[in-house]
Amino acid sequence: MTRAHLTAATGTNPLQTGVQFVSAVIGPDLHGGSSDAPTRPVSCEWIAALCLTAAMALLLVVAGHAAGRRSNDMAPLLFWSGVVLLVVPISLRTGWPRVARGERLFLLFLLAEALFYCKAVYSPTSFIGHDEFLHWVAADDLLTARRLFLSNPLLPIGPAYPALEILTTAIVDLTGLSLFAAGTLLLVILKGTFVAGLFLFYEKLSGSPRTSAIACLVYMGCTTFAVFEAMFSYESLGVVLCVLAIAVEVASRDLDGRPRLRALGLIALLLGALAVTHHLSAAFAAIYFGALAGFEALRRGPMQIEARFAVGATALLAIALPFLWMEAHGNLLTGYLGPVIEGGFRTLLGKIMGAPTPRSEHLGPPAQPLGMRLTTMVAILLLALGLATGFFRSLATTAPSSARAGWRPIQDILRRRWRDGRILLLTLLAFGFPISVAFRLTSAGWEIGNRMGTFVFIAVGLVVAVSIVHFWQGREPRGWRLIGPAIALSVIVMGGVTSSALDPIRGPYRVAADQQSVEPMGIETALWTKQWLAAGNRFTADRVNRLLLASYGRQDVRVKIAAGVDTARLFEAETLGPDDFWALARSDIDFLLVDLRLCTAPPVLGFYFEPWQVQQGKPLSSDMLLKFDDIKGITRIYDNGWIVIYDVRGLHGNS
Amino acid sequence: MGIPSSRDLLATCVWAAVTLAAVAVSDSLFLRTILGAPIVFLVSGHAVLRAIGIRTTSVSEHLAYAVGTSLAIGIAGGFALNTAGFLGPPGWAIWFCAITIGAALVADSRSDAPDLPPWPGPVRVRFWQGAAIVLALLLATGAYALAVRDETTYRQFSYTELWMLPPAGDRPGRLTVGLRSAETQTHRFDVEITIDGRLSAVFRSLTIAPGETWARQIPVPVSATSQRAEARLYRPDDHRLYRSVSTLVPRT
Repeated sequence: MTRAHLTAATGTNPLQTGVQFVSAVIGPDLHGGSSDAPTRPVSCEWIAALCLTAAMALLLVVAGHAAGRRSNDMAPLLFWSGVVLLVVPISLRTGWPRVARGERLFLLFLLAEALFYCKAVYSPTSFIGHDEFLHWVAADDLLTARRLFLSNPLLPIGPAYPALEILTTAIVDLTGLSLFAAGTLLLVILKGTFVAGLFLFYEKLSGSPRTSAIACLVYMGCTTFAVFEAMFSYESLGVVLCVLAIAVEVASRDLDGRPRLRALGLIALLLGALAVTHHLSAAFAAIYFGALAGFEALRRGPMQIEARFAVGATALLAIALPFLWMEAHGNLLTGYLGPVIEGGFRTLLGKIMGAPTPRSEHLGPPAQPLGMRLTTMVAILLLALGLATGFFRSLATTAPSSARAGWRPIQDILRRRWRDGRILLLTLLAFGFPISVAFRLTSAGWEIGNRMGTFVFIAVGLVVAVSIVHFWQGREPRGWRLIGPAIALSVIVMGGVTSSALDPIRGPYRVAADQQSVEPMGIETALWTKQWLAAGNRFTADRVNRLLLASYGRQDVRVKIAAGVDTARLFEAETLGPDDFWALARSDIDFLLVDLRLCTAPPVLGFYFEPWQVQQGKPLSSDMLLKFDDIKGITRIYDNGWIVIYDVRGLHGNS
Repeated sequence: MGIPSSRDLLATCVWAAVTLAAVAVSDSLFLRTILGAPIVFLVSGHAVLRAIGIRTTSVSEHLAYAVGTSLAIGIAGGFALNTAGFLGPPGWAIWFCAITIGAALVADSRSDAPDLPPWPGPVRVRFWQGAAIVLALLLATGAYALAVRDETTYRQFSYTELWMLPPAGDRPGRLTVGLRSAETQTHRFDVEITIDGRLSAVFRSLTIAPGETWARQIPVPVSATSQRAEARLYRPDDHRLYRSVSTLVPRT
């Protein structure tokens, strides 16, 4: 059909030709048909071969991590060849036309679980991500105290969202597994359920397993899929409940009477669980269902009262449940997310308006290898191309079936005539993608862009999949139309892996780099505190050692010495001034832990203590850290050559 | 056409009861994992889905919903058990057992319960295909085992820990001095302990192997003022001060 347009354009003026060309590329013409071509039965040959390929790929990934630990030059080659061997064949087969539905679903499971495996072997015996430590500590506290809502100084909002800890401790209690094993088992199940829920959602929405499988692959290109959503963190559970709720809702759209009411009951159960699991996922569900109800109210044409009621009731639940839960437990969300959102928006707007660069932006993003950056950029460009060619086509898929020629579908939608408000909503939500990329270009807004991606990609997946099925491939793709989009899909998934972490390969210790700073010496020091000082002492330290002390050491760690006195201020001063001395003396801190490795290099993430510390990027010196040696009342009770523990109880007369 | 049977409900009840019994009487990790994990992730959710009367069109859809429902039941259980002050293994086992059996009874009493979705037709797997899948599983498991081994054996830093702890409530008048080696080979050390600058104890040529811990309790003289105790670690091979720690001995 595209060729026909271009041929027809010959002989007209260049402007008209250009307009017709652009219209043919981005316009709403649908070439893929309304349903999939007949499929072949499940191919066990392909499944067996791809399982074997994936296993070999995982072996290469493990070898890459081992080489990385030893700073061996072969590490990137081993690791990335493993990732390519894992992603490319499975992506090619999953997005291929005429593949059986069950085979596509199996391959999506295989890819999702294999990507989780890649994350798991980074640290195969314990949790290692910053957020994982926060939830590990909370789960450990729950197992010890057998009570919910215990305070967590490292994540003050955490006790209000205890679902992840509840489920993990339920598994520990019922099975006897360790917390790490139970958490990992839960994450494996969550990953599989997420992919299944997403596949079912897209399938019900598009009516095509092929479109659905492609959309799931595109979702795997999200920056948060490979690592962030595979962490032992409340978002990993929240996003699963969110996707299941929207999948159940879309599956029930054609039901009426009691079956619809029952489906509403299940949605209420899932939304209730989501409200106590994760604030942002619950917020996304509220926005999605609220906007959907709005679109259904705006929509012209026949619609049953019952259907309107169901959509309205779902929206009401999705908005009311998180709000009620938040109110019941005190509104901590504003204080937790407010500064991040405010800072991110201010920086982004400042950048657009040409305002002076704020201090947080002077640090610059931590460097990634060129190959990783190039892959991420190509993936973003491919996604942008998919969105450009899929936007109007995606809208056209929901236009009334009688109006599918030229721009008529879009005119109908502008006249508020559409068949499914969900497709319309998701297509519009895909606009969030360029916004999330813009946020990721700033240090202050990176967090917003990253979190947005998790939800925006649900929309991006659909639009790009429609673009591939209805424009790039069409009904009977051959030659480059078959191969090109399939390779592009592989690159998009690869982009998800390259943008998932600063360095996904395990390496030697790096200064203030979160998971890259966690290694046996720090862990054993934390374990020493538990064995020789007992649990529950009040400690303060740098960001990484604080996590180790709280988790392995079971210590009561503090982010602030006293109200208004951050840990950073205490450690970063050349000498202990009278103000800091008295703040420390009057505080209830028992011990300070000093890690002299912090003096060996600038902080990888730009800060040693917290993102809001005053002297960001300024290197620490050993004199700054060892100044406590000369303070009367402070004693150095532990020393391993790198890590020193000071006992400050003598300052407040407890010793 | 779905599966119009209630045998699944009977199976969920039996599963729940056996899990409850296993949690009550067995410490076997294997047995409790085999029984307990499915009830947290699937069985309870399946029973509740049947009780609500959700109609699903494929096995994958039914399984996804069942997992989601199980998770929601588990989360609700956490709050219920917390309120009851019963958050522990027996509480969890009773919660999942009660929900599963209760839901199964409700489902069984329904006259309009929808059928289960049909199972997909059998897939013919040839010997080499099965062997390849088993080999893939073995490879992935072996690779994970290698990763675990590498993680637990590789150490970037080698070091020796020295510590000195003040007298505590259960050992008044005694300091604790300790030494632990995380070096790559056995080393000899000398330890000197001083109290307010006066030599109190000396330990010569302590031979500490990697992973070995040496600790002693040192008596301290009674004093009306607090005293400063110090421990110094020397390496006799090069006569170097290697580590130094200190503590305050509170007045008696």
